Amino acid sequence: MEWVRFIIGSLCIVCGLLIALIAAFGLFKFRFALNRMHAAAMTDTLGILMVLLGLIIMRGFCFDSLKLALIILFFWFASPVSSHLLAGMEVEISDRLKDNCDVEETERKGGVQ
Amino acid sequence: MSRIRKNYENSFAHRFLVFVKGDKPLPEEDHVEEWKHRVAEVKETERAENASYLELAETDPYEDAKRFAKMSDMRVFRRIYYVLAMLMCLMIIGMLIMNVAYMPAFGSEDTPTNNEVAERYLEKGSEETGVVNTVTGMILQYRAFDTFGETNVLFVAACSVMILLFYKTEPEADGTEKRKRKKKAAARHNDEAVAQAEAAAETPDGSVTAPSCAWPQGMQEKETEPERDIILQNVARVVVPMIFLFGLYILLNGHLSPGGGFSGGAVIGAGLILYNAAFGFRATRRFFDEKVYDIIKVGSLCLYALIIAYYLFTGANGIASIVPLGKLGAIISSGLILPINLLVGLEVACTMYAFYALFRRGTF
Repeated sequence: MEWVRFIIGSLCIVCGLLIALIAAFGLFKFRFALNRMHAAAMTDTLGILMVLLGLIIMRGFCFDSLKLALIILFFWFASPVSSHLLAGMEVEISDRLKDNCDVEETERKGGVQ
Repeated sequence: MSRIRKNYENSFAHRFLVFVKGDKPLPEEDHVEEWKHRVAEVKETERAENASYLELAETDPYEDAKRFAKMSDMRVFRRIYYVLAMLMCLMIIGMLIMNVAYMPAFGSEDTPTNNEVAERYLEKGSEETGVVNTVTGMILQYRAFDTFGETNVLFVAACSVMILLFYKTEPEADGTEKRKRKKKAAARHNDEAVAQAEAAAETPDGSVTAPSCAWPQGMQEKETEPERDIILQNVARVVVPMIFLFGLYILLNGHLSPGGGFSGGAVIGAGLILYNAAFGFRATRRFFDEKVYDIIKVGSLCLYALIIAYYLFTGANGIASIVPLGKLGAIISSGLILPINLLVGLEVACTMYAFYALFRRGTF
């Protein structure tokens, strides 16, 4: 049982590390800020989820696992919101937005922050 | 047979020779011409306004350099300066290396740092200070004076930022004065009904007439503050209480688990900043305005100073502290370390938020 748990957990961790690696590659590969942000946000959500999930599985059911689960929850709250704010700022101030992505003109009330 | 090189002035050898001699290169002709031309232009346009500037500009821009180049003595002195500076550096290096030779060998067993201090901290730390987390016991009990200095540094840093950036809060005083003036004017005209109506309109809601925020004149909050983002607000409603709770947890468990005043205070300060970023200064000012900031910051530092004074007094006179250490591992234990952690945390949180608010808006 211990061995099964260890193998599943380590598989999860390796998976998360691979995702982080791909994200780091994308961060340097892409040129446009929004694309790069997409790559960077991958680490904060999926990569963190996989790594911490692996740790939870390896640790078993105890208080530490609850703490790790709370960390996952916090990251899933915080990371998309910060990405959203950064993307809004990029859309507001970018000069070359139309060169890099399709822009749909809509009536927008106010602006994002 | 010697060969005369063409264009000797621009050759590397000549420039190198000039560099070695310490001469500054003389100005080129067209450069001087251009300078004179510009001086003439300035003369025509701004003669009346800044005469002193023109006097400066009329002189040769390279006069100093030329005079310096003529003083050949200076060249010798410069060499001496170089040599002396070098010798000084070498002497200091030599002294330091000599001092190193007197130190005990690296990693040897019988140095005081290796066998006395750390051992004492680890063996007697829990007994003497009543903490489980030895690091907290070290920084708050054995080295309490050092930590007190750090807290003072935070206080002084926030104070100096306030001195540099604080926008004077005039509108409040202006508002009350205006109100008084209005009342006086109304009374003078025997129009008491109007004055009473105004007073009735103003007194129940003081914030209307005397705005507690201080914007530069002619600038509204909407112009300087970005629009509030609804996603951020909804997430902040969930996350901010969690952050405050977690910060308090770190503060109160400083003597039991890793953490303590500085880290817990940083977490609480981050929570305040998030609340501010989501809901704006007007909302934050409801519970954390300048007055609260002053009270918390000065009060916590003064209390901390009192505790340190108590430590120093008892320690210097060899009196045992009357504060009981309590049971090892309980939340309320380890004497004065828990209140110190709380005070340091409040100080750090206030400093963090003050930096954010002052750099972003200039006031609270």
